[in-house]
Amino acid sequence: MTPAKNILSYSYYPGCSLHASAQEYDVSTKGLFRQLKIGLQEVPDWICCGATPAHNVDELLSLSLCAKNFSLADRVEGDLAVSCAACFSRLKTTQHKLAANDIKRKQVEAAIDGPVSLAKPVKHLLEILAKDYGLDRLKEKVEKPLAGLKVACYYGCLLTRPPEVPELDDSEAPTIMERVIGAAGAETVAWSHRLECCGANFTLSRPGVVLKLSNEILASAKGAGADCIMVACPLCHGNLDIRQKEIEEASGTRYNMPVFYLTQLLALACGVQTSRLGLESNIVSPMGLLREKNLL
Amino acid sequence: MKHAKMQLSTETMNVGFVRKVEALSGSSVRRCFQCGKCSAGCPMRSFMEHPPNRIVRLLQLGQYERVLAGRSIWYCASCETCSTRCPNKVDLAAIMDALRKCSWDAQGPSKESLVQLANRLFIDNIKTYGRQYEMRLAAVFNVKSGQFLKDLMLGPKLITKGKLKMFHSKNKNVGEVERIFARIEEMRKKGEAE
Repeated sequence: MTPAKNILSYSYYPGCSLHASAQEYDVSTKGLFRQLKIGLQEVPDWICCGATPAHNVDELLSLSLCAKNFSLADRVEGDLAVSCAACFSRLKTTQHKLAANDIKRKQVEAAIDGPVSLAKPVKHLLEILAKDYGLDRLKEKVEKPLAGLKVACYYGCLLTRPPEVPELDDSEAPTIMERVIGAAGAETVAWSHRLECCGANFTLSRPGVVLKLSNEILASAKGAGADCIMVACPLCHGNLDIRQKEIEEASGTRYNMPVFYLTQLLALACGVQTSRLGLESNIVSPMGLLREKNLL
Repeated sequence: MKHAKMQLSTETMNVGFVRKVEALSGSSVRRCFQCGKCSAGCPMRSFMEHPPNRIVRLLQLGQYERVLAGRSIWYCASCETCSTRCPNKVDLAAIMDALRKCSWDAQGPSKESLVQLANRLFIDNIKTYGRQYEMRLAAVFNVKSGQFLKDLMLGPKLITKGKLKMFHSKNKNVGEVERIFARIEEMRKKGEAE
């Protein structure tokens, strides 16, 4: 029997961070999708996409790791849902490059010892929520509107750049995050640093870079009057949340700015149990803010 | 080297290297006309001795040794802002990848070792486990870079928050991952891949 058209179902690539430092992103994604009755089945034995370090020094390795994931994902029905902005970018880039370049494609086929499968669409959660599920349907599911919560939507680098790859929204003036969280009743602020880099994976090798760049982002959000920042990437979250105390010490500024994953806020609005949002894993506690706004 | 005087002649113009970078990156180097938009938007500009537009100019002038010897290419965050904004469609982020590959393969004289160490350990983890394990990555990085106390206060906090896993297992298909690495190495030995 073919499933009814309005029932959505996806294969799911969480990525390495969602099984560790970003486990609250994984927990809240699953909670939200269950609440919205969107199917989500994790790709068995998925492997690391190679992230930035692989493409930094070895493009063929990076493309091959992603292509291997495509063949693993083919075992599960449904378009490939990706939560991490970095994994999303690498998987989309691989599809883009291998579709356009026969030589690279042949090399990758030799490396993974099998055909390259590019048929399955790769979709970020934002795209699934805004386009496949739809903002009107999402609005109907909101049980607890995030009224009065001022959210700074932080895109970072890889959700929208380079323009021809993610196909998510405009690369310089995107609105998809604002539209999605706006549907849940939140107020979004206009601010300068929503597309700036947080310092990304320099958090391991050169944390000084993160202290400078992420400080500028936090200062911009605070200056725009935001209560919190919303992100869609585990690295951005790590830099803005886990390193926030260190940033405060280095810059001599107190931010106390909770940083949420988009799925945490959406799941909260859609009535998912508070215990299934992973809020206890956020380093900068959001509990005070949520109580103040009567959202807990 | 940054301030060393540059003597230009037809002999110093290394078009071969430019062509190699263009082939690896799939982007033109020669098309850049030095508008500087890439450097204006580069978040890492202040950490680099050569800003992005100067890197392209140095390549055009055959001065690739200056580029590879410096730390600038390793301080690129791959944020793609330069490639997004270039009016001439020079894909500078891809050129940076190509330059890092050239430096990496030649084990060249770059000044930046910590970023390279982090990359090496990250890639080794994929080969060994199939996935990334942040705890292991950070611990081994600290030992190998001699920064034993780096982020010491962060560890216990992350563990109590459930953000670091103390134990991890290999992927069931890690053998297939290892074979991908082996096949790529084999192709390179035979000259079938760059």
